[in-house]
Amino acid sequence: MIAILVPILFAILEFGSALERWLAQDAATVQAARLAGEVGGDLPEVHQLLADQLRGSGIDPDRVVVEVVPARVGWREPVRVSVTSEHPVAIPFLFSVTLPLRSSAISRGEVNR
Amino acid sequence: MAAVTTIALLPLLLVVLAGVLQLGALRVSAARVRSAADLAVLVAVNDQDDAELASTGRLRLASDAATVAREYFARELEMSTSLLASPAEEVAAAADVAAYPIAPAVDARTGARYDSPAVRILADVPLRTPIFGALAFRPVTVVSVLAIGSPR
Repeated sequence: MIAILVPILFAILEFGSALERWLAQDAATVQAARLAGEVGGDLPEVHQLLADQLRGSGIDPDRVVVEVVPARVGWREPVRVSVTSEHPVAIPFLFSVTLPLRSSAISRGEVNR
Repeated sequence: MAAVTTIALLPLLLVVLAGVLQLGALRVSAARVRSAADLAVLVAVNDQDDAELASTGRLRLASDAATVAREYFARELEMSTSLLASPAEEVAAAADVAAYPIAPAVDARTGARYDSPAVRILADVPLRTPIFGALAFRPVTVVSVLAIGSPR
């Protein structure tokens, strides 16, 4: 009985945690994309904002891969911010797996160089 | 007795588990689609009519605001194609995108009154829900999205 009920309970908790983390990461990525468009690309303040937002959601920013393309964006050009992290999921008696969580958002450059 | 009851209830428990996981995934998908619409509207209203701003100091939407909103809605959705039941371009093309460059204005579709220039996206986005489909529900769930933005 334990071997059936415990995995079900853990599956709900573990996948719920992964989905919550994915939501938080998505929201942080959108904010970072907005800022990247505002300041003109891949600048330290974008990474700082992202790190603060992720930390506030319980995600370690040092274990997250961030990509801002292009690194320098002009007026009205699109800029994409992608964030990838890994979330371990362990279900007792069944399996352990690492889920890749990917978030991306596109904004538009607001700096007229 | 408890073990027999657990085994007898196992199919029900698995159905509940699958339903819970699908609901969670649907919530993430819906949030992502709403973010896409919000960001598209923000991009559109951030682009001001420069001539109007220079001559009068007033914020006014660029003439292509609605087109930009639709284009960026498609771009944002393009990054979540695995969650969508239709191509991103189709969803964006079918969206009701309206720009209200002169305020005050009343939105004919929603009845909302805008006291400053605004861009609005109203879209029905079909999302994949394969577990619901396997459980004899609909394999596609349509989420309605409404995003409105004004410059300030």
